[in-house]
Amino acid sequence: MGERFSAPRALLRGIPITVWMLCLVAVPLGYTFLISFFQVEGLQIAAKFTLKNYRLFFTDPMYSGILLKSMLLALAIALLAILAGYPLAYMLSFRVRRGKQALFMLSIIPLWVSYLVRIIAWRTILGNKGVINSALTSLGLIQEPLSFLLYNRFAIAVTLTYICIPFVFIPVYTSLEKIPRNIMEASSDLGAGELRTFFNVVLPLSLPGLVTGFIFAFIIALGDYIIPQQLGGTQGIMFGNLIWSQFGFAFNWPFGAALSFILLAISVTILGLTSRFGSTEGGFLSE
Amino acid sequence: MSRRNRGIGLKAYGFLVYFFLYFPLIVVLLFSFSPTKTIVGISGFTLKWYQELFRDQNLLAAFLHTISIGAAAVGIAVVLGMAGAFFVSRVHFPGKSVFRTLVLLPYILPGILMGISLLVVIKALNIPLSPLTVLLGHVSFTVPVVMFQIMSRIARMGPNYQSAAMDLGANPVQTFWYVTLPMIRTALIGASLLAFTVSFDEIVISYFLTGTWMTLPVYIYGMMRYGLSPKVYAISAIILCLSLALVMLMSRYTGRSADVYRVRSRQD
Repeated sequence: MGERFSAPRALLRGIPITVWMLCLVAVPLGYTFLISFFQVEGLQIAAKFTLKNYRLFFTDPMYSGILLKSMLLALAIALLAILAGYPLAYMLSFRVRRGKQALFMLSIIPLWVSYLVRIIAWRTILGNKGVINSALTSLGLIQEPLSFLLYNRFAIAVTLTYICIPFVFIPVYTSLEKIPRNIMEASSDLGAGELRTFFNVVLPLSLPGLVTGFIFAFIIALGDYIIPQQLGGTQGIMFGNLIWSQFGFAFNWPFGAALSFILLAISVTILGLTSRFGSTEGGFLSE
Repeated sequence: MSRRNRGIGLKAYGFLVYFFLYFPLIVVLLFSFSPTKTIVGISGFTLKWYQELFRDQNLLAAFLHTISIGAAAVGIAVVLGMAGAFFVSRVHFPGKSVFRTLVLLPYILPGILMGISLLVVIKALNIPLSPLTVLLGHVSFTVPVVMFQIMSRIARMGPNYQSAAMDLGANPVQTFWYVTLPMIRTALIGASLLAFTVSFDEIVISYFLTGTWMTLPVYIYGMMRYGLSPKVYAISAIILCLSLALVMLMSRYTGRSADVYRVRSRQD
């Protein structure tokens, strides 16, 4: 689709958005990268080149340990979100005829429900006097509230999985809907059972959606700092909290910038790997 | 196991996932009407937490702030995003994928990175935190929402209608006004609603860019520090219902699911 007329005009249309993104996204990210090589002197950021922020991260096992733990938790969350989201998408795409549109809406609505409201909901459910504990107590099943529900990594995993399910569902559903139905008929005509058709035909063809969903869930879980803060307690410090604290009470912006840049590098690497398989828009932003 | 039974197993699992997705939202709604703080043995129905909300001047102010930030951000994002969508759809240029990635970044990168990097620059330039700094952040992540929605509409529309209009003697302004705009109108409305919803709920980026002029999520986040009061449930329930209303409205304008549906039924 080439521009057949008024090419200069068409080029002009790209200028505002490019300028905005350069000034308010690219430059800030670049500047953050720059100050990750600075240091704090007194309460000021001094523009003296140093590698000590990165050295601190790579030599102190506490920091790399938090990153590793966060990546493992993010991995678990992404897998759990797939475990919930993939079968849902499969069911909707292949098993449901009536009410499909309504069920589709039902599956994606949680994506647009306020993030804070969902956190409040899970704090309410998992808390010491929360829904689960009071239900179990009043049924006489437990005497003392179960304390393992809230303020640990379990609570983070539950809540982030909850947040991530629609992010897996949408790209998976999109790629399942693209599979031509006659391929599946062919598979069954050739004698493959349902399971075999799934593993040999459906799963490979839905891989782009699956990878996109996985990556989205992983990046969301890895970068989050509010859920660990609200539900993670003391043992639930994640990499996002570590970054956040450098800009809060620790007041070490250069170190925070270095940590941010490490998160950026991980995210970009993963997104780059994905773009080979799926689309980075993942179907969220297309109509 | 027969074919039928296997389908039932999957449906039961699907039902469980829906339960997992909606149970928490129901809990919030129930708590907002509960006179006590426990849900078991819920002993009545009250609207007093809602009444208390309306007496909280700071909360009402924060609510208005959020709405005005959302409206302003969407207004700017529609202009930038629509122009950008036509640019990227209709012009061939080297580095197109770089451009797309650049626009997508504020949407797909962890919010903490966008918040922090903007904060660092804002502080370096000695700009005080204000509604304006919040707005800068909100425009950045609503622009991709608008641009990619409109791009997919343009892709489906094809270039022929515009060419026809121009061939018949319409100037670019007329072509846009009488041909292009009506064809992308619903996508534009849908994208605006979507962008507004995203802006309305945003906390991760706003948190870093907000000074004393707080948006509603930042204000509620502050309230949550002192435990979950019934008031928090009441405002949550209101936000929940507002988001639902926005999503319902949105689904009337965005053709995505409807289109997928149409393609399917043609194949069946």
